[in-house]
Amino acid sequence: MDETPKIRLVILGGGKGGTALLNLLGHLPAVEILGIADKNPAAPALSLARALGITVVDDVVHLIAKTETNLIVDVTGDPTIKAIITAHKSLGTEVLGGAASKLLWNIVQHDAQMQTKLFQTEKLASIGTFSSGIAHDINNPLYLIMGLAENLLDETDTTRRREQTNDILGAVKRIATICQNLTHYARQSTPFDTTNVELNGTLDEALTIAHYATTPKDLSIVKDYANNPVITAKPEEMLQVFVNLMTNAIHAMEGKGHLTLLSECQDGIVRVSIRDTGCGIPQESLEKIFDPFYTTKQPGKGTGLGLHSVKTIVNKNHGQLSVSSTVGQGSNFQMEFPSASPT
Amino acid sequence: MEKTAAMFGGNATEGCVLIVDDEPDVRKVIRMTLEKAGYQVIEAEDGEKAIEKINEGENPLILDVMITDIRMPKINGVEAIDYFQKEYPRVPLIVLTGFPDTELATSLLRKGIVDYLVKPVEGEKLKAAVAKGMERREIHHL
Ligand SMILES: Nc1ncnc2c1ncn2[C@@H]1O[C@H](COP(=O)(O)OP(=O)(O)OP(=O)(O)O)[C@@H](O)[C@H]1O
Ligand SMILES: [Mg+2]
Repeated sequence: MDETPKIRLVILGGGKGGTALLNLLGHLPAVEILGIADKNPAAPALSLARALGITVVDDVVHLIAKTETNLIVDVTGDPTIKAIITAHKSLGTEVLGGAASKLLWNIVQHDAQMQTKLFQTEKLASIGTFSSGIAHDINNPLYLIMGLAENLLDETDTTRRREQTNDILGAVKRIATICQNLTHYARQSTPFDTTNVELNGTLDEALTIAHYATTPKDLSIVKDYANNPVITAKPEEMLQVFVNLMTNAIHAMEGKGHLTLLSECQDGIVRVSIRDTGCGIPQESLEKIFDPFYTTKQPGKGTGLGLHSVKTIVNKNHGQLSVSSTVGQGSNFQMEFPSASPT
Repeated sequence: MEKTAAMFGGNATEGCVLIVDDEPDVRKVIRMTLEKAGYQVIEAEDGEKAIEKINEGENPLILDVMITDIRMPKINGVEAIDYFQKEYPRVPLIVLTGFPDTELATSLLRKGIVDYLVKPVEGEKLKAAVAKGMERREIHHL
């Protein structure tokens, strides 16, 4: 493996194909992306490339002529490009275009779809473990509604009637919010549509959902948020990452302890950490926790897919995930992402 | 506040019920339903507070029936039920919870709770369960 020379490629075309290639190839160690070109400065792949620190140009020729390049991938779909490439590329450079680049694009697309399905399956499996929490949060306001309505049948005092009717309306709104949160969480993301995601809001939303998964007993939550941490990702997937990490944290603390949510922005890097004061993870297990199906939970309580999805999603979004943990003291899951360039 | 029913001019009440639930809204509805039916109501927001309440003042003497949720902060309902059955075997217990769990319901009914009710429960059903609890209490008293 080590002897294979690095593939140094340039991408022509910043549309869906270019975005998919950046996403797929951007974190392969054997591949270096030297640059991406598109005539349209608003092409979606270009902002992603900037966030990744990849050169962005509008002049195709300039990129093609780069001598370090050994592969040109043309996903412009523009028939006139072929001649330009042939005229300007250096001798040893190979070209992937036409039907061949379409094939690559199809494989990438298929792979992304499978992955999206896998994330969705993991998410739906975990929603199963939320049922008791959801039932609790819905049935309490329902009970209020029922009790007040029964009382209103023969309540004659006008002030009390007004008060109780208002309480019913409040309870209805609470239930509607729960349903909204859940349908939002259950929604399947589309394979390629990344956008700017503000992570503080995502952390807050995840916390609401993580509560359903556990019986929080004596939980104190500390939020230490940076101003406007924004990355390029899929909001549904980032929500899934945070929900998984928070559920793990709350489980590890058996509902009692401190959960710290931290976001930081520094030098083009957005850092998020989720820290708990739970049971901790023994050194020898640290490398196993990301394996699919690794779980220490009872059947029905965990599938062992949570952290696997977390890691895959974080890496796919060009982030790094690290964990530090001390048995008996707690764990800290830390992520770093390239900040989305301000637009 | 808690002894409102008892303050109705010294009228004998139907009995005294302790409700344990972390949701003030839920306690409010139970109180409303039971006070209308002539019961005296005491509230606690979790298992730990319930233990305090049950030992407070004359409560150990007048408490007849206890209604508790299962999913609560601090000491959860199942732990609380074990505790209460051990410490206060004469107080019949009713579980009122937001989560229908047949397995849990069966095991708790085997342990001798009066009823396992799921929210939202009709006022009539709740009152029937409390009345059943009151009967049991009288049997215990004999
Ligand atoms: N914050 C944490 N503190 C302690 N142990 C943890 C923590 N997070 C994960 N673990 C350990 O790693 C294992 C794997 O976690 P993962 O989220 O992948 O699966 P799971 O939580 O068991 O099940 P699920 O698929 O429902 O998430 C857990 O079973 C637990 O032993
Ligand atoms: Mg998990």
